[in-house]
Amino acid sequence: MVESPPIIRIDHLSKRFGSLVVLDDVSFDIPTGRTTVLLGPSGTGKSVLLKNIVGLIQPDAGHIWVDGVDITTASERKKAELRKLFGMLFQDGALFDNLTAGENVAFPLKFHTRLGERERRQKALEALAMVELPDVFDRPTSALSGGQRKRVGLARAIVLEPKVVLFDEPNSGLDPITSDTIDELIVHMKAKLGITFLVITHDIVQALHIADQIGMLYKGRLVEYGTTEAFLRTRQQIVRDFMQRNATLPPPDGPLIPIP
Amino acid sequence: MIAGITGLGRFGGFLATLVVASVTHRPPIRSTFEEAYRIGVRSLPILLTISVFVGTNLSVQGYNAFAPLGGQRLIGMFVALAGVRELAPIMVAAMVAAKAGTEMASQIAVMRIRQQIDALEVMSINPHWYLVTPRLFGIVLVLPALTVLSVFALVTASWLVAIFQLGLNGQQFIEYASSTTRLVDLWYCMVKAFAFGITICVVSCYYGFQSSPGPSGVGSATNAAVVSSAVACAVSNYLLSRVLYG
Amino acid sequence: MSSGGVIAGIGRFGIFAGHVVWRSLTPPWELHEFSRHLWQVTTRCVLPVCATVAPLGMVMALQGLKIFELFGAQQLLSSLVSVAVFRELSPVLASVLVAAQGGSSFAAELGAMRIKEELDATEVMAVDSLRIHVVPRFLAAVVATPLLNLAGSLAGIAGGWLSAVVFEGESSGQFLSNLWRLTQPIDLVGGTIKTLVFGALVGLISCYQGFHATGGAAGVGKAVNDTVVYAATTFIVANYFLTSALFGAIGG
Repeated sequence: MVESPPIIRIDHLSKRFGSLVVLDDVSFDIPTGRTTVLLGPSGTGKSVLLKNIVGLIQPDAGHIWVDGVDITTASERKKAELRKLFGMLFQDGALFDNLTAGENVAFPLKFHTRLGERERRQKALEALAMVELPDVFDRPTSALSGGQRKRVGLARAIVLEPKVVLFDEPNSGLDPITSDTIDELIVHMKAKLGITFLVITHDIVQALHIADQIGMLYKGRLVEYGTTEAFLRTRQQIVRDFMQRNATLPPPDGPLIPIP
Repeated sequence: MIAGITGLGRFGGFLATLVVASVTHRPPIRSTFEEAYRIGVRSLPILLTISVFVGTNLSVQGYNAFAPLGGQRLIGMFVALAGVRELAPIMVAAMVAAKAGTEMASQIAVMRIRQQIDALEVMSINPHWYLVTPRLFGIVLVLPALTVLSVFALVTASWLVAIFQLGLNGQQFIEYASSTTRLVDLWYCMVKAFAFGITICVVSCYYGFQSSPGPSGVGSATNAAVVSSAVACAVSNYLLSRVLYG
Repeated sequence: MSSGGVIAGIGRFGIFAGHVVWRSLTPPWELHEFSRHLWQVTTRCVLPVCATVAPLGMVMALQGLKIFELFGAQQLLSSLVSVAVFRELSPVLASVLVAAQGGSSFAAELGAMRIKEELDATEVMAVDSLRIHVVPRFLAAVVATPLLNLAGSLAGIAGGWLSAVVFEGESSGQFLSNLWRLTQPIDLVGGTIKTLVFGALVGLISCYQGFHATGGAAGVGKAVNDTVVYAATTFIVANYFLTSALFGAIGG
């Protein structure tokens, strides 16, 4: 099978805030059309990496090639152009409070397409159906639950049909059951859209559930990176420790004992 | 000292970004009028209340100041000059800074900490253009009008006090008032309002964008916005008065 | 808001004010907290107060000069500036700036404590949160405002002098010798009384807004916003009545 070139190539990226080194010489490729998950404990530079990729933060050294163009040296105009390749789901959804759920989803269409009001509504409804929220269009964002906020944010991220969708901690702040449904949704959408997903998370269960490729960031360095199968056979001590602390226990022999 | 200089530098950078964003994008006509309406309508009741009470006070104080000199009849002149040239513009600016300016700062600060500004950037929508430009155009559109309304409320209130509380001649009040102020005073008054509008909006939005995370970050951004815009308006008021009337 | 809502709001504010004032007059006092807030408010407000009153003193002198020149009465300029600064400009502006800087930070601090459930935690520990969090701030505002008014008055006079003498070329000796011609002790006392009242209003309004903040970070922003607007409006309305009561008798 011939691999298409990576959609994002990260090349010796470093970033520090004052004396704190957040990213230390990180290099890797994000393959086109796959789901790549970056794992790591909180405060290891995962979010900073994401913000570097979309050009919200300027790195101290290194380059990021997005679809063949270096976003770290691009002009503001070029950056704005490149960002149209991305959809991003923010941690708390980052929905605009003065708009309804549906208006939030239709928001980017208003600025980047020539669609009329009715077509925008139609598109937004389709995107909302994709995240399995067909009937929240006219609901104010304050009336949405945490999981619904993320879904609406996701609908907004995919409405312009981006090439890459970025997820910033899609499970943070959600209860385990809602988390599972979000994971299912990511897997389903991946199958339907066939585009590139990049997910950052500290949730190993989620990572194993959705990933084709897994990397782990620790103290600003990429300590492991490979396919999910390869990742599970890692010989890095720190990765094994992290997985053991977070992973579910192996299934017990025989049926579970009911609570009296 | 160094913090002050870097702060000024950041403010300059913000200003440059804003100007570039405003001239390179199409003007946001609809949201400009929405902002203008919001600022104007929300601030109007409170502005009229304050104008009335500043006007009444101006009469009482003017009377006290001129009575020892036997100049009670000059009170109309005093009220008109002080009110139109100085008090109305600066007072309207102070109240709009306190009401609309703090609102701008806290709204933008909340958007900043809830990553909505990052979301705008990722959606390739210039946040300065989307958030600041309509507010800037809106306030510039509406502040001169508010100031003129405030002038009329202020002068009317002092006229009523002069007649009913101080027992002066109302006819004489109007004669003195209209003989000393000219139409150009009203124009200058609007020039001041225009300048104050820009100052308040730019300063308040700057602090909103600079906000640090958390509820206390929003609080202190709002706080810094109103204090800085009040000081900036007071200082530019002197400079403008010197240029216009000096 | 409906008029019923307004009246209920004023009622709630009145009850809150009653609680705070009662606790301010009875021991135990949190003296350490009080002095910390007093120091903070005074140091944080002194620059903004002076930086606002001084330019207005300068404008006073600039505009006053033009009026007095019509009558050839320039020698009265400094008397007018000092009366205006001591009676009106400084008390009102100093209080507005205390509301904008000190009051709004009280509202922001208390609002953040409310949102982060720190105030609830205080109550759960059976500690009177009004006494330890609100009363020291209230008293600090009451004491700080008259002090800042004095600083503001001096800055206003200095601004007037700067404008008249340095920029407009009036005689410095004439300015200084006429400074106290119309200003009487009652003006100083009156300004102090005004600012005591305004300081109490700032303290009560800001703490009330912060103490009752709801709705996350946006709620804190709204509390700060409302503090400045309500305080400034209340001052200007109260100022008219105070001026009429304190100085009204002199002229009439």
